[in-house]
Amino acid sequence: MEKHLDKLPSFVEAIKSMKETIIANIVFIGQIPAPTFKEKRRADFFMKRLAEFQVDECTTDGYRNPIGIIRGTSPSKPPVFVVAHLDTIFEKDIDHNYTVKKRTIKGAGVLDNSLSIGILASLPEIFRKLNLRFESDIVVAGVIQSLGRGNLRGIRHLLKTWDTPIRGAICLEGVELGRLNYYSEGMIRCEVECDISPTLGPLQKFKSNAILILNEVINQILELRLPQRPRSRVIIGKISGGSKHGTIACKAKLGFEIQSDSDKMVKSIYNDINDFVFDINHQNEIELKLKTISNLSAASLKYNHPLVKSAGAVIESLGLKPICEPSESELSIFLSHNIPAVTLGITRGENIYLENSTMEIEPMYKGIAQIIGVIMAIDKGVCDE
Amino acid sequence: MNSNWLKKNTFHHSEFKDINRLVEEKERKKIKISLCLPTLNEEKTIAKEIIIMKSELMSRYQLLDEIVVIDSGSTDRTMEIASSYGADVYKADDILPKLEKFKGKGENLWKALYITTGDIIVYLDADIKNIHHRFVYALVGPLLLFDNIKYCKGFYDRPIARGKKKLRPTGGGRVTELVIRPLFSLFFPELTQIMQPLSGEYAGYRELFEKIPFPIGYGIETSIILDTYEKWGLDVIAQVDLERRVHRNQDTKSLGKMSFVILKTFCKRLEKLGMAELKSGFFNEMIQYKLGKDGYQPDIYKDKGFERPPIIEIPEYREKFKAI
Repeated sequence: MEKHLDKLPSFVEAIKSMKETIIANIVFIGQIPAPTFKEKRRADFFMKRLAEFQVDECTTDGYRNPIGIIRGTSPSKPPVFVVAHLDTIFEKDIDHNYTVKKRTIKGAGVLDNSLSIGILASLPEIFRKLNLRFESDIVVAGVIQSLGRGNLRGIRHLLKTWDTPIRGAICLEGVELGRLNYYSEGMIRCEVECDISPTLGPLQKFKSNAILILNEVINQILELRLPQRPRSRVIIGKISGGSKHGTIACKAKLGFEIQSDSDKMVKSIYNDINDFVFDINHQNEIELKLKTISNLSAASLKYNHPLVKSAGAVIESLGLKPICEPSESELSIFLSHNIPAVTLGITRGENIYLENSTMEIEPMYKGIAQIIGVIMAIDKGVCDE
Repeated sequence: MNSNWLKKNTFHHSEFKDINRLVEEKERKKIKISLCLPTLNEEKTIAKEIIIMKSELMSRYQLLDEIVVIDSGSTDRTMEIASSYGADVYKADDILPKLEKFKGKGENLWKALYITTGDIIVYLDADIKNIHHRFVYALVGPLLLFDNIKYCKGFYDRPIARGKKKLRPTGGGRVTELVIRPLFSLFFPELTQIMQPLSGEYAGYRELFEKIPFPIGYGIETSIILDTYEKWGLDVIAQVDLERRVHRNQDTKSLGKMSFVILKTFCKRLEKLGMAELKSGFFNEMIQYKLGKDGYQPDIYKDKGFERPPIIEIPEYREKFKAI
């Protein structure tokens, strides 16, 4: 393994010499809008691009996840997966034209996750340039329907229908370079919707207010006693409602996530919230509904798992410090299938979820070298023990 | 009117997507192809144009031999950025320095003829937000595959970037529809078949460009069409549907200035061809008005209508290209 670590710094320069190809791929892919459930055009382009770079097999699975397979030298070795989600949070009518400058690329969705898809599309050419051959097949997959209501459907389907063992996997996210995720928390993503039918006449001013009802829900969530072990929390992330400053709000919506190291605790907190939502609903004679948008099971590799140790060593060999936090991405689906996997970040940037999302170009080269380092580690067998 | 031209000489970019075939044809003909990007404060778009053309048409396919940026004196980081992505960058004023200096797009394109080495020169505006390599290969395709075609012009839908966020689905081409098309209809009806005579994306053989004069400013697109038509006829011209081009919107006042220069260029050619006679010369000022603190103030744009001669008449050029 150490031999490979020694090579990584020189890979950075070689990768940098391919900057036109890599940036062109990021731009071409990122400029195709791909809101969740509407990823077809981006998926088609990704496939076409892989075919143009002479990937051995380009195909889609039954769920239309685009996949490229770079054949390895040893047919007996299971494949290594490198995946990134293809969808973004931006709708089609947003300007997706990217701006490239000397040090940055700016545009909707570049950090989450067009950069990663651009890198996936560039990997076959980068392997060729670095003269790299692997024993395992390398499967590069842009998975669809990942974000929000997509609930990671693309990767769930891909792994459910993949009928041979998988040696290990790397999930790619745009930021933050140095990120090393190897565990995911249990999670339930929920929405509480309050709907009060409009009343006409003098009673109008005394009816319930949807925003105040949600305020009551928030207060009760804040009063929950959450344990420190297993670590558990409720994150209130979104709220919307009302129509005018002087009119009582008839509709309001609250979005939150319950997160914990323990699936049991997630379920228990969910049941508590469900109970008091039911109570508030009953007391106020309104329409108050708790809906589950998506959920994930907690899953983890151990910190001393050889893949985690090797990935950490790869990151450190490039002069970076590994940052370990939980991740709720494709990683959790690999781990729940008992496939060793990590999530890596590729570069640095800002405004990740805004239309003017901006990535730094220079750190990306190290980010790509790190992906190759971890592929090499898996190919050498760190996941086989 | 030769109305067959529209059918015969109008192409779609998809007809030329087999880039390998174009490269083979280029090699068979033993010719070089240069891309010229004229710039003035284009730091937001220049890098993307260079990167995509280098990646797709120099690294993956060897269709282009060089990318040259000719700058009119940008005050932003256009030149630094272009240079960092490997384009050959020149200040227009530094080219043929003994000649009188002018500022303008036409000046940049004319000087590019001296700097570039290609037998085919592709000119692209540097403000294209949705740049794609089809903008080059589709313009070059007809020139490589059809021996009679010497000049190829792009046309497209023109959505306009509105503010920072959304795109207006259609628009643009106002000067074309309000100025050029009426003039062509009045004097050269055959030329109305050219969909977007003012598009800034075109390619042609050096042997054609070097023999025609270049107005230094906005009149360049009009003059190339009129002079090519007059010297070689419509059949040497082709047009290609590039489908979609997103660009910066220009305000009406700027379009007024553009129209002023184009009208002047057009009228000069009418006079030269004996199709119209002006009893007195032109005024050189476009006068618009703006509301200031002290009421309406004239806002004057000067254009002397200077034109560079065919570059083949310049001794330095003849010296440099004597072997070609």
